[in-house]
Amino acid sequence: MNEELYICAHAAEFPAQALVRLRPELQPEPIAILEGRAPLEVICSLNRSAWRKGAACGMTRQEAESIAGVRLLQRSNETETAARAVMLECASHFSPRIEDASYGTACSLVLDIAGTRLLFGPAESLAHRLRDALASVGFHTSIAVSANFHTAQLKAAASRGVVVVSAGEEASALSNLPLSVLALPAAHAETFAIWGIRTLGELSALPEVDLIARLGQQARQWRSLARGVEPHTFQPIEPEFTLKEFCEFENPIEQVDSLLFVGTRMIECLVERAAGRALSLASIKVQMKLEGGNFYEGVIRPALASSDRKFLLKLLQLEFAAHPPQAAVLSLTLVAEAGQSSKMQLGLFAPQTPEPSRLDVTIARLRAIVGEERVGSPVLEDTHRPGSFRMESFAVPARSATAKAEHPRIALRRMRPPLPVSVTLQANKPAQFRSSEDNYKVTVAYGPWRTSGCWWSTESWDDEEWDVLATTQSGLSVACLLVRTNSRNSWRIEAFYD
Amino acid sequence: MNSAAALRIQIEHALEHRFPSALTPVPRTYRETASTGIEGVDTLLEGGFPVGAISEVAGPESSGRTSLALSFLAHRTQENCVVAWVDAEDAFDPESAAANGVSLRQLLWIRCRNANGLVRGKPWTRLDQAIQATDLLLQAGGFAAIVLDLGDTAPEHASRIPLATWFRFRQAADRSRCCLVVLGKDAYAQSSAAIVLECLSLRAKASGKTVLDGFAYEVRRERHRFSPSASGARKQPASSWSAMSNWTREVSS
Repeated sequence: MNEELYICAHAAEFPAQALVRLRPELQPEPIAILEGRAPLEVICSLNRSAWRKGAACGMTRQEAESIAGVRLLQRSNETETAARAVMLECASHFSPRIEDASYGTACSLVLDIAGTRLLFGPAESLAHRLRDALASVGFHTSIAVSANFHTAQLKAAASRGVVVVSAGEEASALSNLPLSVLALPAAHAETFAIWGIRTLGELSALPEVDLIARLGQQARQWRSLARGVEPHTFQPIEPEFTLKEFCEFENPIEQVDSLLFVGTRMIECLVERAAGRALSLASIKVQMKLEGGNFYEGVIRPALASSDRKFLLKLLQLEFAAHPPQAAVLSLTLVAEAGQSSKMQLGLFAPQTPEPSRLDVTIARLRAIVGEERVGSPVLEDTHRPGSFRMESFAVPARSATAKAEHPRIALRRMRPPLPVSVTLQANKPAQFRSSEDNYKVTVAYGPWRTSGCWWSTESWDDEEWDVLATTQSGLSVACLLVRTNSRNSWRIEAFYD
Repeated sequence: MNSAAALRIQIEHALEHRFPSALTPVPRTYRETASTGIEGVDTLLEGGFPVGAISEVAGPESSGRTSLALSFLAHRTQENCVVAWVDAEDAFDPESAAANGVSLRQLLWIRCRNANGLVRGKPWTRLDQAIQATDLLLQAGGFAAIVLDLGDTAPEHASRIPLATWFRFRQAADRSRCCLVVLGKDAYAQSSAAIVLECLSLRAKASGKTVLDGFAYEVRRERHRFSPSASGARKQPASSWSAMSNWTREVSS
């Protein structure tokens, strides 16, 4: 049970894979990734289609542009970091002990899988499952399994598909690999070339003492590596669980629909990663870098944590509809907060209430129609100022606590903004008043009721209220709340009784 | 079996492939009702507003339409239901709602506004928003009552709402078992409305001619499609009710 067993997942040409991962439409195209400052940019990574067309690492931009059909993209460190985190997250579903053995432009993760047989079956089955899992999040990898750490790493880097090296057969498995996989210093590589040593098998056949005598102690390590017996002290990393997806565009995106294509894939990845830990998405922060140096930030917060891709995508679409970016988009980042998958306990005799996820979409749509602050529940302010309230976002409450009035109360219909009127007084009471819409003859006026407050601030008010019964020109009886502002001696209709 | 019954069965059997049960009367369905919280109005409506149908409350300003709707919502929120107020002219007063006993936490308030840009100032914009919002709420389901407040909208605009829209609302309300109450200066839903109430008169109550104590209103039933009474029974066509002002104390009987 204590035998060592390692599995290495090797993603070659990682800069290219990271960039096309979220954009499936680019995957069949020949892609070459440039790094460095213009005009000295060189190709650092490319996919197989570009390699077939004749592109190669180290080519300058001018050379690459001369090859027809090759699409050139700029390397993005942020995209690679996000992609590496996704790959690590995916691999951590198979083993908690992972060492990052990346080098050059490849991303290589070695997992300690000793003792996982009961969970995942034979090593070969685990290797295929790991490869499929990585493919589902957009990475094409080669997998190698071996009892020796370095053998797994070297074999994965040099082969394609899944390779399982049985214990004791490491040397024969590595024998055909070229010497270049050891990344020897140039002087020693040249020495080996002069000696005619080109493969690891040839290197391992050399006598150890003579080799050390000629090339020093380091030659012992190379020989051990070539024979697959070099020991390794495993240094596991502890991946931080962050649900973040980042995508940088080579051209600024102006159409919101185009963003949604990328957003769909990003949300799918986030949901999948969260589901791997039996979690859902409680909120998604949308960040966009805009042309001109501006940034856009918005938050999608469903009432209940959800794993429903379509529902989350709809919320993202409505967020874009309500707050369209003010300039072309250079990059899109989605940072999700994980939450427990929610279950609602429904009662057989409980009254029907809106389904939380559906209500979220409905409220988002309503906000898009009437405005952000104009949908919600009113909350009365703790003040004596008439008509003061604030809006709060609506959520289905658990239980009501308000007591119903035993007798109906007269309701007001507010005028927003209040309707200015000119008033004629008789014996210090309104006798008639005129608005821009109608003339009113007062039948009875109850008042004045004086109200004032906040005298210590600029929001002070000092009003005089009259409850007025009046008749319009057309003979209609109305009851309204007529208010006079004492400081300006101006009159207005604040509300109608109805 | 007498000859008339035998003849009926014979005719029904002959027409069965074209008109099933051609001579048998359709069984009367009794609609569930939701109380308005006002005894006089409940008596007039034989229980209250029908669940899953459109009820219209029409009348001029200061005729008690809003008080009636708030009383109804207060009753619904007391039953732990969720309600919505679609406010075409942004006239809703939360203080009045709270005074009537509406649980504001259970109330979704949609305040329509004048749209910016080219359509600014068009009376249709607010109405359009109100119709769209009502449509969305009905489709979402789960709301026990929705008040579509067209109380300040000019009848010449509101009467242009297509009949197809009202028909769709009726279907959606039926499906989601929602009471859709339409407040307006006139009745607009025509054949789609199950109930049309006309709010009529206004009489103020005052104590000593100094303080307004409340109003007495009259309400008349113009249409009642799902009346549970037998068709021959005599129905009371009108009723009266009163609303007190917020500052008047309730006297327990």
